[in-house]
Amino acid sequence: MSKKAISFILNGQQTKVEVEPTLLLVDMLRNQLGLTGTKIGCGEGDCGACTVLLDGKSVNSCLILAVQTDGRELLTVEGLGTYDKLHPLQEAFIAAGAVQCGFCTPGMLLSAKSLLDKNPRPNRKQIARHISGNLCRCTGYAKIIDAIERVAHNQ
Amino acid sequence: MSEYRMIGQSVKKLDAVAKVLGKAQFAADIYFDGMLYAKVLRSTVPHGILRSVDVSKAEAMPGVVVILTGKDVPGSNSTGMIVKDEPVLVKNGEKIRKIGDPLALIAAETEAMAEKALELIEADIEVLPPVFDPVAAMEDSAPKLYAKGNVLAVRKIRKGDAAAAFQRCSVVVEQEYRTQMVEHGYIEPEAGVAKLDGEVLTIWVSTQNTHFDAKEVARNLKVGLDKVRVIQAATGGGFGGKLDISVQVHLGLLAMKTRRAVKLVYSRTESIINSAKRHPCIIKMKTGANAEGKLLAMECSIIGDTGAYASYGPGTLTRTAVHATGPYEIEHVAIDAYTVYTNNPTAGAMRGFGVPQAAFAHETQMDMLAEKIGISPLDIRLRNALRAGSVTATGALLKSSVGIIPTLEKTATAAKTIMLSESAVGKNAKKRGIGISSMWYGIGNTGLPNPAGAYVNLLDDGTVLILTGCADIGQGSDTTLAQIAAEEFGIDMEDVRVVSADTGITPDAGASSASRQTYISGNAVQLAAREAKKVLLETAATMLGVAPDEVVIGYKELSVRTTSAQSQFLTDCLSECRLDLGMAPKGKGQSVSLADCLAECRAKGKLTLGHGWFNPDTTGLDPETGQGKPYATYAFATQIAEVEVDTESGEIEVLRIVATHDVGKAINPVNVEGQIEGGCTMGLGYALTEEIKVKEGKILTKNLATYLMPTAMDVPEVHPFIVEEREETGPFGAKGVGEPTLIPTAAAIANAVYDAIGVRFTELPLTPERVLAKLQEIQNAV
Repeated sequence: MSKKAISFILNGQQTKVEVEPTLLLVDMLRNQLGLTGTKIGCGEGDCGACTVLLDGKSVNSCLILAVQTDGRELLTVEGLGTYDKLHPLQEAFIAAGAVQCGFCTPGMLLSAKSLLDKNPRPNRKQIARHISGNLCRCTGYAKIIDAIERVAHNQ
Repeated sequence: MSEYRMIGQSVKKLDAVAKVLGKAQFAADIYFDGMLYAKVLRSTVPHGILRSVDVSKAEAMPGVVVILTGKDVPGSNSTGMIVKDEPVLVKNGEKIRKIGDPLALIAAETEAMAEKALELIEADIEVLPPVFDPVAAMEDSAPKLYAKGNVLAVRKIRKGDAAAAFQRCSVVVEQEYRTQMVEHGYIEPEAGVAKLDGEVLTIWVSTQNTHFDAKEVARNLKVGLDKVRVIQAATGGGFGGKLDISVQVHLGLLAMKTRRAVKLVYSRTESIINSAKRHPCIIKMKTGANAEGKLLAMECSIIGDTGAYASYGPGTLTRTAVHATGPYEIEHVAIDAYTVYTNNPTAGAMRGFGVPQAAFAHETQMDMLAEKIGISPLDIRLRNALRAGSVTATGALLKSSVGIIPTLEKTATAAKTIMLSESAVGKNAKKRGIGISSMWYGIGNTGLPNPAGAYVNLLDDGTVLILTGCADIGQGSDTTLAQIAAEEFGIDMEDVRVVSADTGITPDAGASSASRQTYISGNAVQLAAREAKKVLLETAATMLGVAPDEVVIGYKELSVRTTSAQSQFLTDCLSECRLDLGMAPKGKGQSVSLADCLAECRAKGKLTLGHGWFNPDTTGLDPETGQGKPYATYAFATQIAEVEVDTESGEIEVLRIVATHDVGKAINPVNVEGQIEGGCTMGLGYALTEEIKVKEGKILTKNLATYLMPTAMDVPEVHPFIVEEREETGPFGAKGVGEPTLIPTAAAIANAVYDAIGVRFTELPLTPERVLAKLQEIQNAV
């Protein structure tokens, strides 16, 4: 199979890569670009651990081909904040105790961001609905919802 | 003001920043140049004898580097938590006991190549008749998984004379309960990477117990334990499911054979098929009380299906038996628990370790008894609850830190204001109800030695390095242990670094299981810190011209103990004066800074280095009577659930849960709350939706679309409360909390459903189909 050249904005940077047409977005991110913050929990779109933002919308990167990102804008957890400047959601997750094992955290953060970008003042029910595609087995979601609510209140 | 600076503070978790940035390195994130990718060929039959494995076609495939079969395992070819009954790779002529048994290992240049090569391996298996029903498996005529028979272990507990005591009971309830097989459902599937450096094999793995892993790898590879270094990668949840060996030995074999780095990551389905599950149990329970509701006698038999391999089975069923009375004092008890092999998936440790099954039974019994006697569910529990001076079914005397009554009182009080307000009564087809449930849980392994060790090094600049074998699997043990050290030394959290779960560096701390690490590793770290501190105190005493026991540690300083309010006042005045004069607040009779004291230690050639280990005070259980002291301390809890049952659809919605947990001392309250909220949610799944469905040894619910764990939409409001009944032998009074949080939840929900619709459920989960069937039954009977 011949590789296809694609170009997209990844975490604010114009990025060009050559990929196999069958390569999944999550595998491109993790294996080809070394961005391992995006996790694989099921590979079937059930758990949400691989959530990234494509043109601002949350998608399961295990269900999308890398070539589908051509010409589009992609945000992964690596583009959300840095050690020196955490994103408000990252700050809130830490402060609220929303991080336990941390495996769902990157996907959860990006889901939360896509919600707040669209609806800056969601109530708890709306938050729960929006993150219901992201499974967390540790926290029972309460402190995750607290954290997102905290950011919404501070905006 | 708290008597502590760091204990009882909800400091942020040490690993949280790396985790929100996506920088925490999980095993699947590790990459080495030239790394190989492994895959495992597994049995698709539940019972058989492996005749041969033909790997020739697969071996010839480009990209395939090596294929290993049973003959290539140099060591014992066996793993297991308690019994070494599970093969690393089934050898020719040996038995296959479940679907998923490993038959061959492939290492290839890419994952896709390895996967493709799997299809080219041909295994010749002689199929044997299987047995899937644990009751049938106990019969002599059943197909045998092992020469010794299918009953792996029997745990008996005898206290008093139960048969005679039932004669004196005014009310007796007798019921059979059935609980289902469930999955841990950690979001990170099993994963690891192995690499050989010189003669040392290093394995990074998602695990709850690196030191156990290293022993299993060394024995199977036939190499010294000193040559195996197992390092815990960031671990995406465990809940008991990452105690068993998964990828560790396979990776070790492949790395040794190829001398290249090798990675093995399970798919979700591979994880579900091959990881141990929660034991499905059949529990027959008979409980009797007098007319006032005082429990007099209990008889109970428990059959736990441990599947093809023992895993933690005998330990789990022992715990079910030991906890079968619930947190109540019963004078006459007869309990038998059977751990039975079948050709089903293996069951092992899962959060609660056999106690959630027992709690579903004993808490339903309590409500049934209360109803018959005509007292409230709360009253019957208060009348029978364990207290200081109570003797348990195993004959253990509880001396202190018995917090069940405070949890009952606090939960009931809180629930009154939170639940069932007048306006909240369900409408039409929707019926509301509340249910209560309590639990107790012994901290640490049952009647077995289970020590933990730690090293604590107070460095030259006053920062501290903790070395502990304790695996932080997300629960926050690194942070808890750091808080303990920071408290001991009077320093900040920023001044403490924890290196955990690396067999090349850290001492063995046992498993992160049995809710044991806060208590056991917490004690080990405290003891180690105090050994290092002793040097510091002695040095400070010399500097201050007093005896060492006159010196106390404050915030980054050591000062002469102030024994009265007046001397504290004078000390403060003197310090103020010194500060006013531009002098450091130190000097003879006053205080010395930590930095100066450490400099003095070094000038005198003294290192501030401590080691500690702690083993809880337990005794083994008598094989015939189960009498003994299985645990040094117990956690207690009560939960009340409020539900709404839709009598048309059969759906149950849990609206609220009030959960009160006696943890001895909450070292980090937010982390304790996180455990409570997470545990209640896992308990919600156990009650309503989760079930690993197995047909003829084959798992049908093999992905997260069919195995239904609670989402954010499904969770109720959880109101966590903490009770602190100080445990004298615990670090700062602490016990444990991880597993207790899940144990009472399902029973509380089932009791609430009864309150709502008058239907008693004795089988989990409470699916809409079961609810409707029961309602139909009642309607037909009218």
